[in-house]
Amino acid sequence: MAVRTIEVRESLMARNNELAAAVRQRLNDAGVTMFNLVSSPGSGKTTLLERTLVALGEELGIAVVTGDVQTQNDADRLARHTARLVQAVVTGGACHLDARQVTEALDQIDLSATRLIFVENVGNLVCPASWDLGEEAKIVVFSVTEGEDKPLKYPKMFRQSRYAVINKMDLLPHLNFNLDQATAFARQVNPELEFFFTSALHGEGLDEWFSFLRSRVGASPRV
Amino acid sequence: MHELSLALEVGRLVENHLRATPGRLVRVGVKVGLDAGVEPENLAFCLESVFAGPPFHGAETVLERVPGDVLRLDFLEVDDGRPDD
Repeated sequence: MAVRTIEVRESLMARNNELAAAVRQRLNDAGVTMFNLVSSPGSGKTTLLERTLVALGEELGIAVVTGDVQTQNDADRLARHTARLVQAVVTGGACHLDARQVTEALDQIDLSATRLIFVENVGNLVCPASWDLGEEAKIVVFSVTEGEDKPLKYPKMFRQSRYAVINKMDLLPHLNFNLDQATAFARQVNPELEFFFTSALHGEGLDEWFSFLRSRVGASPRV
Repeated sequence: MHELSLALEVGRLVENHLRATPGRLVRVGVKVGLDAGVEPENLAFCLESVFAGPPFHGAETVLERVPGDVLRLDFLEVDDGRPDD
Protein backbone atom coordinates (compact mmCIF):
# COMPACT_ATOMS: atom_id res chain seq x y z
CA MET A 1 0.00 0.00 0.00
CA ALA A 2 1.14 3.54 -0.65
CA VAL A 3 0.98 5.77 2.38
CA ARG A 4 1.48 9.38 1.47
CA THR A 5 2.42 12.14 3.88
CA ILE A 6 0.65 15.44 3.37
CA GLU A 7 2.30 18.47 4.95
CA VAL A 8 -0.51 20.63 6.29
CA ARG A 9 0.91 23.16 8.78
CA GLU A 10 -2.49 24.69 9.40
CA SER A 11 -3.19 26.60 12.61
CA LEU A 12 -5.89 25.16 14.83
CA MET A 13 -6.93 28.70 15.62
CA ALA A 14 -7.16 29.73 11.97
CA ARG A 15 -10.95 29.54 11.68
CA ASN A 16 -11.48 31.34 14.99
CA ASN A 17 -8.94 33.98 14.02
CA GLU A 18 -10.64 34.56 10.65
CA LEU A 19 -13.96 35.10 12.41
CA ALA A 20 -12.32 37.34 15.02
CA ALA A 21 -10.77 39.47 12.26
CA ALA A 22 -14.22 39.81 10.66
CA VAL A 23 -15.71 40.85 14.03
CA ARG A 24 -12.95 43.43 14.48
CA GLN A 25 -13.60 44.85 11.02
CA ARG A 26 -17.34 44.94 11.59
CA LEU A 27 -16.92 46.79 14.89
CA ASN A 28 -14.40 49.16 13.40
CA ASP A 29 -16.77 49.99 10.52
CA ALA A 30 -19.57 50.61 13.02
CA GLY A 31 -17.37 52.73 15.31
CA VAL A 32 -17.90 50.35 18.23
CA THR A 33 -15.28 49.52 20.87
CA MET A 34 -15.37 46.02 22.39
CA PHE A 35 -13.60 44.82 25.52
CA ASN A 36 -13.30 41.20 26.58
CA LEU A 37 -13.53 40.85 30.38
CA VAL A 38 -11.71 37.76 31.61
CA SER A 39 -11.10 36.45 35.11
CA SER A 40 -11.45 33.51 37.44
CA PRO A 41 -15.00 32.86 38.72
CA GLY A 42 -16.12 35.27 41.44
CA SER A 43 -13.74 38.14 40.76
CA GLY A 44 -16.60 40.64 40.47
CA LYS A 45 -16.93 41.02 36.69
CA THR A 46 -20.71 41.13 36.82
CA THR A 47 -20.79 43.63 39.70
CA LEU A 48 -18.29 45.83 37.87
CA LEU A 49 -20.51 45.71 34.79
CA GLU A 50 -23.64 46.44 36.83
CA ARG A 51 -22.02 49.62 38.19
CA THR A 52 -20.74 50.52 34.75
CA LEU A 53 -24.17 50.08 33.15
CA VAL A 54 -25.82 52.24 35.82
CA ALA A 55 -23.26 55.03 35.39
CA LEU A 56 -22.55 54.91 31.67
CA GLY A 57 -25.00 52.52 30.02
CA GLU A 58 -26.97 55.21 28.23
CA GLU A 59 -24.17 57.74 27.85
CA LEU A 60 -21.86 55.30 26.08
CA GLY A 61 -24.52 53.09 24.46
CA ILE A 62 -23.25 49.95 26.17
CA ALA A 63 -24.31 46.45 25.13
CA VAL A 64 -23.12 43.30 26.90
CA VAL A 65 -22.53 39.73 25.77
CA THR A 66 -22.23 37.33 28.70
CA GLY A 67 -20.80 33.84 28.53
CA ASP A 68 -21.58 31.20 31.11
CA VAL A 69 -21.27 27.45 31.13
CA GLN A 70 -24.82 27.15 32.44
CA THR A 71 -27.56 29.62 33.40
CA GLN A 72 -28.06 33.16 32.17
CA ASN A 73 -27.99 34.56 35.70
CA ASP A 74 -25.34 37.15 34.87
CA ALA A 75 -27.30 38.39 31.85
CA ASP A 76 -30.45 38.61 33.97
CA ARG A 77 -28.58 40.58 36.66
CA LEU A 78 -27.22 43.01 34.09
CA ALA A 79 -30.52 43.40 32.25
CA ARG A 80 -31.99 44.96 35.41
CA HIS A 81 -29.66 47.92 34.95
CA THR A 82 -30.22 48.71 31.30
CA ALA A 83 -32.96 48.86 28.73
CA ARG A 84 -30.35 47.92 26.16
CA LEU A 85 -29.66 44.44 24.99
CA VAL A 86 -27.79 41.98 27.15
CA GLN A 87 -27.06 38.93 25.04
CA ALA A 88 -26.47 35.67 26.93
CA VAL A 89 -24.37 32.87 25.49
CA VAL A 90 -24.72 29.60 27.39
CA THR A 91 -21.72 27.56 26.31
CA GLY A 92 -23.19 24.27 27.52
CA GLY A 93 -19.93 23.05 29.00
CA ALA A 94 -17.30 24.88 26.97
CA CYS A 95 -14.76 26.75 29.07
CA HIS A 96 -14.48 29.88 26.90
CA LEU A 97 -16.28 31.97 24.33
CA ASP A 98 -15.10 31.77 20.73
CA ALA A 99 -15.38 34.18 17.82
CA ARG A 100 -18.26 32.23 16.26
CA GLN A 101 -20.43 32.75 19.36
CA VAL A 102 -19.56 36.44 19.46
CA THR A 103 -20.37 36.78 15.75
CA GLU A 104 -23.82 35.32 16.40
CA ALA A 105 -24.33 37.51 19.47
CA LEU A 106 -23.43 40.63 17.47
CA ASP A 107 -26.17 39.74 14.98
CA GLN A 108 -28.65 40.42 17.79
CA ILE A 109 -27.19 43.84 18.69
CA ASP A 110 -28.07 47.07 16.89
CA LEU A 111 -24.53 48.27 16.29
CA SER A 112 -25.72 51.60 14.90
CA ALA A 113 -27.07 52.44 18.39
CA THR A 114 -24.07 50.99 20.26
CA ARG A 115 -20.68 52.51 21.05
CA LEU A 116 -19.24 50.10 23.58
CA ILE A 117 -19.63 46.34 23.99
CA PHE A 118 -18.41 44.30 26.91
CA VAL A 119 -17.97 40.57 26.50
CA GLU A 120 -18.13 38.99 29.94
CA ASN A 121 -16.24 35.79 29.25
CA VAL A 122 -16.61 32.47 31.08
CA GLY A 123 -14.90 32.65 34.50
CA ASN A 124 -11.67 30.81 33.78
CA LEU A 125 -8.09 32.07 33.75
CA VAL A 126 -6.83 29.48 31.28
CA CYS A 127 -8.85 28.87 28.12
CA PRO A 128 -10.26 32.35 27.29
CA ALA A 129 -6.66 33.59 26.98
CA SER A 130 -6.24 31.57 23.78
CA TRP A 131 -9.31 32.79 21.92
CA ASP A 132 -9.36 36.08 20.05
CA LEU A 133 -12.93 37.36 19.92
CA GLY A 134 -12.22 40.45 17.81
CA GLU A 135 -11.98 42.67 20.90
CA GLU A 136 -9.94 45.85 21.18
CA ALA A 137 -8.36 44.47 24.34
CA LYS A 138 -8.73 41.84 27.01
CA ILE A 139 -9.21 43.23 30.50
CA VAL A 140 -8.34 40.82 33.30
CA VAL A 141 -10.28 41.30 36.54
CA PHE A 142 -8.34 40.03 39.52
CA SER A 143 -9.72 40.34 43.05
CA VAL A 144 -7.79 40.72 46.28
CA THR A 145 -9.47 37.61 47.66
CA GLU A 146 -7.33 35.60 45.24
CA GLY A 147 -3.65 34.79 45.71
CA GLU A 148 -1.24 37.54 44.70
CA ASP A 149 0.68 34.99 42.63
CA LYS A 150 -2.21 34.49 40.15
CA PRO A 151 -0.26 36.32 37.40
CA LEU A 152 2.58 33.83 37.78
CA LYS A 153 0.24 30.85 37.86
CA TYR A 154 -1.74 31.99 34.81
CA PRO A 155 0.84 33.99 32.82
CA LYS A 156 -0.82 33.67 29.43
CA MET A 157 -3.96 35.43 30.61
CA PHE A 158 -1.99 38.34 32.07
CA ARG A 159 0.25 38.48 28.99
CA GLN A 160 -2.74 38.59 26.65
CA SER A 161 -4.49 41.33 28.63
CA ARG A 162 -3.75 45.02 28.14
CA TYR A 163 -5.52 46.15 31.32
CA ALA A 164 -5.97 44.68 34.79
CA VAL A 165 -8.72 45.65 37.21
CA ILE A 166 -7.78 44.73 40.76
CA ASN A 167 -11.17 44.49 42.42
CA LYS A 168 -12.69 44.12 45.90
CA MET A 169 -10.22 46.70 47.22
CA ASP A 170 -12.59 47.39 50.15
CA LEU A 171 -11.63 43.97 51.52
CA LEU A 172 -7.90 44.63 51.43
CA PRO A 173 -7.57 45.65 55.13
CA HIS A 174 -9.09 42.32 56.17
CA LEU A 175 -6.93 40.08 54.00
CA ASN A 176 -3.40 38.85 53.87
CA PHE A 177 -3.01 40.06 50.28
CA ASN A 178 0.16 41.88 49.28
CA LEU A 179 -0.95 44.40 46.65
CA ASP A 180 2.56 45.54 45.73
CA GLN A 181 3.63 41.95 45.25
CA ALA A 182 0.58 41.22 43.09
CA THR A 183 1.19 44.18 40.77
CA ALA A 184 4.90 43.33 40.62
CA PHE A 185 4.09 39.74 39.61
CA ALA A 186 1.66 41.00 36.97
CA ARG A 187 4.26 43.45 35.58
CA GLN A 188 6.86 40.69 35.60
CA VAL A 189 4.62 38.73 33.24
CA ASN A 190 3.45 41.76 31.23
CA PRO A 191 5.37 45.03 31.75
CA GLU A 192 2.84 46.93 29.58
CA LEU A 193 -0.18 46.07 31.75
CA GLU A 194 -2.18 49.11 32.95
CA PHE A 195 -3.99 48.86 36.30
CA PHE A 196 -7.23 50.00 37.84
CA PHE A 197 -7.92 49.50 41.54
CA THR A 198 -11.62 49.24 42.28
CA SER A 199 -14.29 48.17 44.68
CA ALA A 200 -17.18 47.50 42.32
CA LEU A 201 -19.42 46.96 45.35
CA HIS A 202 -18.65 50.24 47.15
CA GLY A 203 -17.49 52.43 44.28
CA GLU A 204 -13.84 53.00 45.14
CA GLY A 205 -11.75 53.62 42.01
CA LEU A 206 -14.71 53.55 39.66
CA ASP A 207 -14.35 57.19 38.57
CA GLU A 208 -10.99 56.37 37.04
CA TRP A 209 -12.47 53.29 35.37
CA PHE A 210 -15.34 55.33 33.96
CA SER A 211 -12.96 58.03 32.68
CA PHE A 212 -10.93 55.37 30.95
CA LEU A 213 -14.04 53.94 29.25
CA ARG A 214 -15.16 57.39 28.10
CA SER A 215 -11.71 57.97 26.63
CA ARG A 216 -11.83 54.71 24.68
CA VAL A 217 -15.21 55.23 23.10
CA GLY A 218 -15.68 57.22 19.89
CA ALA A 219 -16.54 60.88 20.42
CA SER A 220 -20.01 61.00 18.88
CA PRO A 221 -22.99 58.70 19.27
CA ARG A 222 -24.05 57.01 16.06
CA VAL A 223 -27.73 56.84 16.97
CA MET B 1 -12.88 21.19 27.46
CA HIS B 2 -10.64 23.62 25.61
CA GLU B 3 -8.59 20.65 24.45
CA LEU B 4 -11.72 18.94 23.16
CA SER B 5 -12.58 22.04 21.09
CA LEU B 6 -9.09 21.90 19.59
CA ALA B 7 -9.33 18.17 18.90
CA LEU B 8 -12.64 18.73 17.11
CA GLU B 9 -11.02 21.49 15.06
CA VAL B 10 -8.24 19.04 14.08
CA GLY B 11 -11.00 16.64 12.99
CA ARG B 12 -12.68 19.37 10.91
CA LEU B 13 -9.41 20.31 9.17
CA VAL B 14 -8.55 16.66 8.50
CA GLU B 15 -11.98 16.05 6.99
CA ASN B 16 -11.44 19.01 4.65
CA HIS B 17 -8.12 17.56 3.52
CA LEU B 18 -9.54 14.07 3.03
CA ARG B 19 -12.17 15.51 0.69
CA ALA B 20 -9.33 16.74 -1.53
CA THR B 21 -7.16 13.64 -1.00
CA PRO B 22 -9.39 10.60 -0.56
CA GLY B 23 -7.95 7.58 1.18
CA ARG B 24 -7.71 5.90 4.56
CA LEU B 25 -6.24 8.14 7.22
CA VAL B 26 -3.28 6.42 8.89
CA ARG B 27 -1.65 9.10 11.06
CA VAL B 28 -2.28 12.68 12.09
CA GLY B 29 0.52 14.93 13.39
CA VAL B 30 -0.19 17.91 15.63
CA LYS B 31 2.36 20.41 16.96
CA VAL B 32 1.72 22.03 20.35
CA GLY B 33 3.81 24.92 21.64
CA LEU B 34 5.03 24.84 25.24
CA ASP B 35 3.29 28.23 25.75
CA ALA B 36 0.11 27.37 23.83
CA GLY B 37 -1.98 27.07 26.99
CA VAL B 38 -2.79 23.46 26.23
CA GLU B 39 -2.34 20.41 28.40
CA PRO B 40 -0.71 17.93 25.97
CA GLU B 41 -1.82 14.71 27.64
CA ASN B 42 -5.38 15.97 27.72
CA LEU B 43 -5.21 17.00 24.05
CA ALA B 44 -3.69 13.62 23.13
CA PHE B 45 -6.58 11.89 24.86
CA CYS B 46 -9.16 14.09 23.12
CA LEU B 47 -7.51 13.50 19.73
CA GLU B 48 -7.55 9.77 20.36
CA SER B 49 -11.28 9.98 21.11
CA VAL B 50 -12.07 12.09 18.03
CA PHE B 51 -10.06 9.90 15.67
CA ALA B 52 -11.30 6.59 17.10
CA GLY B 53 -14.71 6.97 15.49
CA PRO B 54 -16.11 7.59 12.03
CA PRO B 55 -15.05 8.86 9.60
CA PHE B 56 -11.50 8.32 10.85
CA HIS B 57 -11.64 4.73 12.15
CA GLY B 58 -8.73 4.62 14.53
CA ALA B 59 -6.09 6.76 12.88
CA GLU B 60 -2.99 7.18 15.03
CA THR B 61 -2.42 10.65 16.45
CA VAL B 62 1.07 12.01 17.06
CA LEU B 63 1.56 15.03 19.24
CA GLU B 64 4.86 16.90 19.16
CA ARG B 65 5.77 19.57 21.72
CA VAL B 66 7.72 22.53 20.37
CA PRO B 67 8.85 25.91 21.76
CA GLY B 68 6.53 28.93 21.51
CA ASP B 69 2.76 29.09 21.22
CA VAL B 70 2.35 27.10 18.00
CA LEU B 71 -0.86 25.12 17.75
CA ARG B 72 -1.28 23.44 14.41
CA LEU B 73 -2.19 20.43 12.36
CA ASP B 74 1.20 19.50 10.99
CA PHE B 75 0.77 16.53 8.68
CA LEU B 76 -1.47 13.68 7.61
CA GLU B 77 -0.53 10.24 6.39
CA VAL B 78 -3.08 8.81 4.00
CA ASP B 79 -3.18 5.36 2.43
CA ASP B 80 -4.60 5.86 -1.05
CA GLY B 81 -5.14 2.11 -1.50
CA ARG B 82 -2.89 1.83 -4.52
CA PRO B 83 0.07 -0.55 -4.65
CA ASP B 84 3.50 0.81 -3.70
CA ASP B 85 5.38 2.53 -6.50
